[in-house]
Amino acid sequence: MESLSDNAIMEKVKSGQIDLLGLLYERYKKMLFGFYFHMNRDAALSEDLVQNTFVRVLKYREGFKGDGEFRTWLFRIARNVSHDHFRGDKWKNPEKLDDWNDKLGDPGQNPEEATAGQDELDMLQLALSRLDEDKREILILSKFRDMPYRQIGDILSCSEGTVKSKVFRALRALKQEFELVQSKM
Amino acid sequence: MKDLVEKYNQGIASEQEVRELERLIASGQLSISELAGESELLEKLAGLQSSEPSPQMDANFYAMLAKEKSRQSAPGLSFDLGKLWQQFPAFKWAYTLIILAVGFGIGLLLRGNDNSDVNELAGEVAEMKEMMMLTLLEKESTSDRLKAVNLTTDMPSVSTTVTSALIKTLNNDENVNVRLATLEALYPYAENPEVRSALISSIRNQESPLVQMAMAEMMVALQEKKSVEELEFLLRKESTPEEVKLKLEESIQILI
Repeated sequence: MESLSDNAIMEKVKSGQIDLLGLLYERYKKMLFGFYFHMNRDAALSEDLVQNTFVRVLKYREGFKGDGEFRTWLFRIARNVSHDHFRGDKWKNPEKLDDWNDKLGDPGQNPEEATAGQDELDMLQLALSRLDEDKREILILSKFRDMPYRQIGDILSCSEGTVKSKVFRALRALKQEFELVQSKM
Repeated sequence: MKDLVEKYNQGIASEQEVRELERLIASGQLSISELAGESELLEKLAGLQSSEPSPQMDANFYAMLAKEKSRQSAPGLSFDLGKLWQQFPAFKWAYTLIILAVGFGIGLLLRGNDNSDVNELAGEVAEMKEMMMLTLLEKESTSDRLKAVNLTTDMPSVSTTVTSALIKTLNNDENVNVRLATLEALYPYAENPEVRSALISSIRNQESPLVQMAMAEMMVALQEKKSVEELEFLLRKESTPEEVKLKLEESIQILI
């Protein structure tokens, strides 16, 4: 049970009780790690980016005004951290289908086995990684069940309607990529 | 709208119809979950798992936090106070009184505040500090391990996990300063029979003269007669330096 709201804790961090940042870290470390991991598929890099995010939270704590939700502010920082890290075209290099052949199970071998479900998820991950960064990002954010479109809009600085529209387009793009991946494997 | 959704789900909607669907979704008149393919994809996306972050991520975070905390606190203050106290002992009493008054004030405030949130928060902070301490204690850097040991001095009480980790450090840490700091950190918990027994057992494992002398002093302070046997063991050891032997003899005389 969370005893105090994120905003209340962040206010205390701002006032100098920086130990309390540990509480926010514990609440959000997995969510942030998941966000980065689905963006770049690199666990070590994702851990570094989580660390960089909290370094910035601490560094710019005075910038937290408390008029919005802490989580929105945190994910805005997280996006900036990843944009700064991948400044250039590193996000834009889509995963090559050939590189993934050996990562997926052999489709000719016992197709009824339970690995089939995992293979499908692997193919979905591959399809996701081949999307443009903005499409991948909005799908990953909308994957968090407790993050409403309104909040995603606050993070991306757009309206709720625009978020819905972008999610729809991203899902259409993902569907195409998923079908392509399935046909190649 | 129903026909439009039907056509889309069958994959026969035109580009114009898809744009119309998008407009309906943006305006909130239609939910994405009504579109079969997209809804299914969203479900599958929710099933995508990321790997778990490693304990190293926690270690890095808490090391960063401890570093920032030590940077935040006034550098060199304790040394300056130490010098000041030596020159003007009255300052030490004044300082103690101020700290007592502040503590009393905070106590009154907390007693008046019957807010369970505050208690829960205090519990969470204590747990977090313990985790921070345990993580730092595993670090390679000596300064990190010293920070870890010093963190326990802020804790009003600690769990057996923490005291066990401190005892392990006292017995195994390669750095003398860390072992000395650990010994000091364990002193407040020496009333605990397990801690006391572990302290006594640790005496014969200590090779450093500084730690050996500190342990002898602590046993005297605790009036722990059971430690005499262990102190005598050190006294008989050829490798024990003469000045340590003097200290040991002196301590044994007080204890018996």
